[in-house]
Amino acid sequence: MATPTALKAVACHQPEGVLRVAGLPGLGGLGDAERESCAQLGIDEVRADDSLSAFDLAARAAQRALADAGLTAADLGAIVLVDARAPETLMTSAATRLQAFLGARRAVTFSVGGLGCVSLTPALLAARGLLAADPGLDHVLVAHGSKPPTPLRYRHPVTVSGDGGAAAIVSRSGPVRILDIVQETNGDYWDLFHVDYRDRPTAEWREECRDIPGYSFRLAVETRNRLRDLYRGLLERNGLRPQDIDCHLSHNLSVGAFRFTEEALDIKIAPSCYDNLRQYGHLGPNDVLLNLRTEQERGGLRDGSRAVLLSASPVAAWSLLLVESGEGATTPTHYL
Amino acid sequence: MGTPNKADVLTAPVVTKELSEFLTANLGQELAPDDDYFTLGLVNSLFAMELVTFVERQYAIEVQVDDLDLDNFRTLGRLRDFVLAKTAHRGAAA
Repeated sequence: MATPTALKAVACHQPEGVLRVAGLPGLGGLGDAERESCAQLGIDEVRADDSLSAFDLAARAAQRALADAGLTAADLGAIVLVDARAPETLMTSAATRLQAFLGARRAVTFSVGGLGCVSLTPALLAARGLLAADPGLDHVLVAHGSKPPTPLRYRHPVTVSGDGGAAAIVSRSGPVRILDIVQETNGDYWDLFHVDYRDRPTAEWREECRDIPGYSFRLAVETRNRLRDLYRGLLERNGLRPQDIDCHLSHNLSVGAFRFTEEALDIKIAPSCYDNLRQYGHLGPNDVLLNLRTEQERGGLRDGSRAVLLSASPVAAWSLLLVESGEGATTPTHYL
Repeated sequence: MGTPNKADVLTAPVVTKELSEFLTANLGQELAPDDDYFTLGLVNSLFAMELVTFVERQYAIEVQVDDLDLDNFRTLGRLRDFVLAKTAHRGAAA
């Protein structure tokens, strides 16, 4: 039998500094339509701290996850860092910096990324693979520090990004079992959103969409089709029906994006997602971990309940995670 | 959402009327056949999905990724032509 995979601990680090979206730096320089779109997102405020880098956010969340799991850095068999949107320096390794910072000398260490908000999924796939392949490896740390690459935190017409770190300890047992992971990509959209940065001062960096009608139409409808197919396939191959899923946790882009997913899949996104969107904005790959953590804290995931975690990215990538709460869960884990 | 149109042969006036009613109800304004609601900035992702879902349900067709050329959907007139083309085989088969 293949090795089970579970989240032993999930931890987040939110900076204390609060930025009201209505007063975002740079918002006044936008056109009326852009400002109105921003105001309609359902995001009241984000956390921001210019003194904390993406690495700092990831490292603090990682320390908390280790403590919550009752582990030390010496227990880590591997570290998988999800790359920051913009590296602090070129040529260096943020992944091995985290290894050194934690003192996890024996951990197999590397980074993954390239899928925007979906980049948590390849990290979990790597963690699952490591646990399955090496019986001597017991715990994998997955971490990411989310910080927008540009001074203007608003990405028209999509979301407002905040600062935040999240980390998970992936082990063979834990309070949240990972039953299945599915992911698809379509490289036709690889540069739909981009930041031109070479030979430009950082203050002039801006997230730009090369084709807003294409984003709002073609990618939207393709996302509907992809999510529907992925969702149907995920349930079928695990022998589940829609009514067997107790909770749906999404990435946090906007209220409109939540409604889009709800209509596309005929589901309800958990209220914790709306609450986190309102007070933290978008945190990239960390959104679903934050929402899972919030749902756990609120007692929304009782033993035996199942949740689907949904992520999508305009690069374009889509992924679903099927998880079950409780160490004594009974659903068999699906392996490809 | 209106009653699905299951007629074997769809006519341009009927499809135009049904699409116009949907667009007017959802965009809050009447549009001429050649008004480009994408260029006018009236379309977001949620509306795009609702528009395609309406067309699929109303005319019992499936919009595939290959159909997602924005030119098929950007005006009332083009959307009408797309619907008529996708359903043209019904009359031939009848």
